[in-house]
Amino acid sequence: MDNDKYVVKPMSGRERVLAALRNEPTDRTPVCNPTSVATVELMDLVDAPFPQANREPELMARLAATGYTELGFDTIMPVFTIIQESSALGCKIQWEQKDNWPTVKMREPIWEDVDDISIPNDFLTHPDTQCVLEAIKILKKEYGDEVAVIGKTMGPWSLGYHCFGVEPFLLLSLDDPGKTKLALDRMKEATVQFGIAQIEAGADALTLPDHATGDLVSGDYYKRYLRDLHIEFVERIPIPLILHICGRTVDRMEYIAQTGMAAFHYDSKNEPKESMDIVQKRIALIGNINNPETLFAKDPEDVHAEVVKNLEAGVPLIGPECAIPLQTTIENLQTIPHAVQDWHNSQP
Amino acid sequence: MTSIVDIGRRIELVPIDPHFNDITIALYRQEIDTRAVFRVHTYSHIKGATKRIEEIIGSMQTLGGLQRTSDGLLYFPCGEKHEAACRRVFLEACKLTSDTSAEPRPLSILDKKSKLTISVESLGNGTYKVKSNGEGRSAERRISAIAGGLMKLGELEPTEENSTDSVTFPCGQSHDALVGLLLVRAPNVRVIIREEEAGAARGVLAAPSQQT
Repeated sequence: MDNDKYVVKPMSGRERVLAALRNEPTDRTPVCNPTSVATVELMDLVDAPFPQANREPELMARLAATGYTELGFDTIMPVFTIIQESSALGCKIQWEQKDNWPTVKMREPIWEDVDDISIPNDFLTHPDTQCVLEAIKILKKEYGDEVAVIGKTMGPWSLGYHCFGVEPFLLLSLDDPGKTKLALDRMKEATVQFGIAQIEAGADALTLPDHATGDLVSGDYYKRYLRDLHIEFVERIPIPLILHICGRTVDRMEYIAQTGMAAFHYDSKNEPKESMDIVQKRIALIGNINNPETLFAKDPEDVHAEVVKNLEAGVPLIGPECAIPLQTTIENLQTIPHAVQDWHNSQP
Repeated sequence: MTSIVDIGRRIELVPIDPHFNDITIALYRQEIDTRAVFRVHTYSHIKGATKRIEEIIGSMQTLGGLQRTSDGLLYFPCGEKHEAACRRVFLEACKLTSDTSAEPRPLSILDKKSKLTISVESLGNGTYKVKSNGEGRSAERRISAIAGGLMKLGELEPTEENSTDSVTFPCGQSHDALVGLLLVRAPNVRVIIREEEAGAARGVLAAPSQQT
């Protein structure tokens, strides 16, 4: 990813993001949000508040577009939540209010055994998956030439938590690896179906969160249960995929780099330099700007410093580490593209 | 075309105003000619939002003794920012419904914990003495706790190193309305801190493994 601003002609945001995801040179480092950058103030600005903006395509598209029109990112990502497909699978959802995230009621799991797993016939026509598909179509039509429209399809490990409950699913993985693999194998079809539907709707790339997070799941677990599945996703979903896993993940970055995914959306618990050293340009890194402390509670100068730290380490796409807190200041978010531009301007 | 306005640094946020269509209202701080001024702002375009903001500005003037410029910016007459105190004034003003007129708070309260009446006397030059209608160690403890609460909420300072009952504004000016407002909350600062922590945690997306 050797940027040379004297060689690379000016790019649109879309060209810039897709080039970086292909490990090709860019005119400047793209600013990318593989997850939500929605805030309560942006909801007011375009009159598209949660929870309606998670359930009505026009509102979803309108709110997502602010990531580009107001914040200056090179991407638009309308799938704010992590529960759209779980809702379509039959999970009970707590939709919450404007200032909070909807969650799956995981204490009321819908499946107890592998044989319970079933993807409903209306999975892709359910209102909560349709909403995403329609929003992507709207955004593609309106902004498709300017910025990359990024969709999202949840991986089977995350769906396992939602549909079986966190504790039962983790216990299953300890007690019966065979059944766990079978469960993942069955749930992966939801990931593929929803991903392909979003490509058909116009998505340029897809975030694929699969929450084998550093706090509960080891690197060995990732290798045992998920690496090959993720390789399969790359083969079956013909679009750049951005894997998202929260937490400290350096113990599995080597395996992640082997999957063929276009990028890994990584957490601020990992140092940019150590992470770049592990992945060795086999996979692009995105993210790392800390949410709960820096973007939410600190000042633009602190955001600027974290952006520069990533740029200095050679991280090819810059953005928040995960879905930002809904009360994040607009000023801090605008600082991300400004800091990227400033840094490039200061380079000899 | 962008609609975001550069109105300074956001220092407080009410994500949902239950008294007006769940709009989000924020307090921004600006510096104009080295003077700290505050702007109450919403990005909502809902009809009536501007009126709601005007109501909050008016309530802040009454509750906190703030003054306003012709542009609707708020400032303390002393010229200092008193940012923590201003944030509290804003939060209290947002709690009032549109049909409730703000009234300056008295400089005395009934302390529910001790059942004592706690009053605050202005000694001039921005200094206030906390007193009670009772005596003994319990009264002394409550006076000390409430003086400490005022310092924490309003960034006041002790008048001298070992003072447990007197506090002062660094600007050296009296702020009676502000002290009356802070006095209501000063007996139980821990509740406020807990509320702030809960408010900050709301809207932060946790990984599924961290959710219940």
